[in-house]
Amino acid sequence: MLHPDWLLDPRLDSPRDELASCFPVAFQLARTVFSLIIINKAGGLIYQREFQAGLRKLSTNDYLVLAGTFHGVHAITRSITPKLPLASNTSPAVSSPGANTPTTGYSYPNPGTPASGLESLETEKFRLTCFQTLTGTKFLLFTDPTSGTVDTVMNKVYELYADYVMKNPFYQLEMPVRCEAFDRHLGAWLRGRT
Amino acid sequence: MLSYQSRAALDVLIPSTPCVLSPHSQLSKMSYYFTILSPTDTPIFNIAFGTSKGGGDGIARFRFPDTAQYMNQFIIHSSLDIVEEAQWTNGGMYLKHIDTYPPATAYISAFLTPSGARFLLLHQPPQLPSSGTSGSLGSSSLLGSSASTTRASSSSVAANPTSPQTEEAIRQFMNEIYESYVKTAMSPFYKQGMEIKSPVFRTRVTAAGKKWL
Amino acid sequence: MSTQKASRIGEEIWKTRIDKVNAELVTLTYGTIVAQLCQDYDSNYQEVNKQLDKMGYNIGMRLIEDFLAKSGVGRCANFRETADMIAKVGFKIFLNVAPTVTNWTSDNNQFSLIFDDNPLADFVELPDDGRAQDELWFSNILCGVLRGALEMVQMQIEAHFVSDVLRGDDTTEMRVSLVRYIEDEMPPEDD
Repeated sequence: MLHPDWLLDPRLDSPRDELASCFPVAFQLARTVFSLIIINKAGGLIYQREFQAGLRKLSTNDYLVLAGTFHGVHAITRSITPKLPLASNTSPAVSSPGANTPTTGYSYPNPGTPASGLESLETEKFRLTCFQTLTGTKFLLFTDPTSGTVDTVMNKVYELYADYVMKNPFYQLEMPVRCEAFDRHLGAWLRGRT
Repeated sequence: MLSYQSRAALDVLIPSTPCVLSPHSQLSKMSYYFTILSPTDTPIFNIAFGTSKGGGDGIARFRFPDTAQYMNQFIIHSSLDIVEEAQWTNGGMYLKHIDTYPPATAYISAFLTPSGARFLLLHQPPQLPSSGTSGSLGSSSLLGSSASTTRASSSSVAANPTSPQTEEAIRQFMNEIYESYVKTAMSPFYKQGMEIKSPVFRTRVTAAGKKWL
Repeated sequence: MSTQKASRIGEEIWKTRIDKVNAELVTLTYGTIVAQLCQDYDSNYQEVNKQLDKMGYNIGMRLIEDFLAKSGVGRCANFRETADMIAKVGFKIFLNVAPTVTNWTSDNNQFSLIFDDNPLADFVELPDDGRAQDELWFSNILCGVLRGALEMVQMQIEAHFVSDVLRGDDTTEMRVSLVRYIEDEMPPEDD
């Protein structure tokens, strides 16, 4: 157990700050990202990669099952999102039956802002963060639960995906990702080399 | 294509009464004939217009009758040999006044694009009512352009085809056309060496003529 | 989200996140493609329009991810917001133009994009064969791009040009209509 004083001790703190400033954020993040899975909008596994050497791998089939299962669970979490009654969106004054006209809360011409579905799943040993793009693709990051938010990593992964996968004219949409440039840039960035 | 050496043949072609003095002709108003030749010597654009500066009406009044406008083309094409010689004399694209054809008092200025297209401008002062000897006959060259020095009395810049002011005005004109030409050539539907039919380009040339000449 | 806010987002992304490329390169590349199509299809301009739209569709399906990754914007609340997003963010970051959104129908399902400036059409003069002026939509690829991109975010739309300065019209106008929201992926949300 660390004593709080140890954490607050400026003499001990400063070298850590220095260390932090010496290395890009990605460097520190790299140690906490275990692996990445990308699932297409139909629930198929299109990409899987570990970022640390020697991680125990599942069989290919297990990854496919994992992706499909997660896709299903994700859809379920969306559909079980509790729905609040309409009245809660409007002021009590207009909740009388006479004023029960469609209000802005329900008048979305599109699915509106749909329930997001499962966003993170945490255990003692790891955290799974799921980011679903508006197009339906899901990015799953397995990280160390003690690390902070992985938004930065997630955004960068998405950008790299947009750049090196989607913009690769020979990549077929919804198909497994076999883009060497994506692998390279992803690895390089996570190791803090770019 | 007429060669420079065949100039003499031109004289035969000139109509017997070259001095058709239009009642509207004004002293300092030039008539211009502008043509673009593709790198393979195909004429891809022609236009005739007159001085617009200083109250000019922008209408060309050549010394040939309307039925003999081909003379302009003959004269302008006959200067191609000189253009070919002159293009190596300096690195610029604008060759200034390169040729004069005294029998018709026609002055020719040239501009070369790096891709080999040639812009040629023939300018012809109106017939002087009193003058019987407009320009010094027989002398036409790039180097010794003594022609038209006798016309320096005219106050208008445009009236003196070889004055620095005229050359500068033509430079501006050529540059502006060059810019339009490049844009026209960049149109995906234009093929190099094809006749320029673009009405936009014609409008721009007319505008450039109005602006500078 | 307001139009102004969308404009600001577009401006910001354009300035900070976008790799710029020479405009002539884009213009000439696109122009060559169209001219080549016209040649390959023997000046069958209906077919050329269709091919351009198809090419755009494939681009749009891919480009949408780049748009979302770079802009970080969320789902639009309604079609009006979508229109602003397209005009002020999408066109801004990919073509550095911001067409005006106008001519809404009363059901908010159709609008027009008016392009003051169209970088694809710089220098272009349509073939003067007497038909191109009436039949070819030179920038038709843009319609396809919108169709593909919006389809990926669950919107089926229809887009076509109604006028083009290249044809001698006063404006370049694209008409965009929402056909329906595609909900097969998303569970029904609006009860």
